[in-house]
Amino acid sequence: MKSILFLIIIAVVAGCSDRNTQSAFVGEVPKSAAAPVGTLSSESLYQLPDTFQTQDNKKVTLSSFSGKPTIVGMIFTHCTYACPRLTSDMKAIEEKLNSENGKVNYLLVSFDSERDLPDQLKKFANTYSLNKNWTLLHGSESAVRTLSVLLNVQFQKDAEGNFSHSNIISVLDKNGVLAFQKEGIDADPSETIERIKQLLQ
Amino acid sequence: MKFLLSILMASVFFCVSKAQKKAVVIEKKMATVPGGNYKPFFVTKNNKPIYVAAFKMDESAVTNSEFLEFVKANPQWHRSKVNHLFADTNYLRHWKSDLEIGNPKIYNSPVVNVSWFAAEAYAKWKNKRLPTIAEWELAANGAPKNFKYKSITDFILDWYTKPNPPFVPNVKSTYQNQYGLYDMNGLIWEWTFNFNSFIASKDSRDNSEADFKNFCAGGAINVVDKTDYATYLRFGYRASLKGSYCISSLGFRCVKDLK
Repeated sequence: MKSILFLIIIAVVAGCSDRNTQSAFVGEVPKSAAAPVGTLSSESLYQLPDTFQTQDNKKVTLSSFSGKPTIVGMIFTHCTYACPRLTSDMKAIEEKLNSENGKVNYLLVSFDSERDLPDQLKKFANTYSLNKNWTLLHGSESAVRTLSVLLNVQFQKDAEGNFSHSNIISVLDKNGVLAFQKEGIDADPSETIERIKQLLQ
Repeated sequence: MKFLLSILMASVFFCVSKAQKKAVVIEKKMATVPGGNYKPFFVTKNNKPIYVAAFKMDESAVTNSEFLEFVKANPQWHRSKVNHLFADTNYLRHWKSDLEIGNPKIYNSPVVNVSWFAAEAYAKWKNKRLPTIAEWELAANGAPKNFKYKSITDFILDWYTKPNPPFVPNVKSTYQNQYGLYDMNGLIWEWTFNFNSFIASKDSRDNSEADFKNFCAGGAINVVDKTDYATYLRFGYRASLKGSYCISSLGFRCVKDLK
């Protein structure tokens, strides 16, 4: 009898301390948006902990692009006007950097978390003949919004599920630090190319 | 035997009272905002009313005391340690130190000088999120209770004309609206999840898609109510923000989906 009571006491006390632990948010803390990763520079966008999916259905974090300069655009594949042109602008930069083939990442991140799933991104990549230097990313609404805030890209979803957005090509250095941005489509790419070449030296 | 029983009783009591004490600190009352159509302020061909599903919203802005709990549990959000990619150098500048608010008069005032990233991180920590612009505007449109002004717009314009007080007054010190929400206007500005949404701004002649479709006719745009200066200012203010900005009149409150 005594031992049973003793067990009950232990169970109650243990249960109690468990609950206290939870209410004090120890251990169960959801990851905050800005938990630093490893030893990256404090300016690095690669600190974002969010996971994205590529056009090949691979799960990646932005830090997987470290090691090479990365050119980033934000688009959505149902876009009829600006996004195909922004993509062409990035392709034109790639062509001008032909001698540096394989030394630069080309990254397109979709605004459209709902429709631009990996399959759809793959189709877009095929339509625009994007080669293996290109990665297209699908992410959660929160992950995409966070990246847009960091890149100063404004966007808004309308009632039909399409997006109004600003058009910005961003250049990140090999550590994910924002090095250069150019706003507008059909913008003169010479400055952008110059900056990438500097980063490659 | 009796001795053991009394220990049991005592431990149960201890346990319950401790749990209750904690609960008081953590739980913030949330009000339900019923679903409805939100008419975007800037009307364009593509900018039709959006249906906003019902949601729960913190009845008041997150206070300094509440934010302190978050900072204590998340050392990367200490003022001395915060990464300036995520919060500029004004982050929590009105606090005495990393873990001290200082002035007791503001314990229960909305926390300000917090960046969008800090507000996002707080909301996630609470298993909540920041409201979208549509949600925030829908909630703020709730009719005020016991109001001496002709309209919310009159009230807001009156607020805009007043200089900022030396410190932010406590939450629940302005008015409550029909949903039970306090201070939707008149106390601070509040972060929204998608504050960086595209609107006609200085960029309206750039080559962006929205401009191509909507603003070709000399940048002519339509708004719901051209005399609604209060809303103009709010949308203009949002458009001027960046995610790392920490401003002495800008705080936030959280929302949650209805289960």
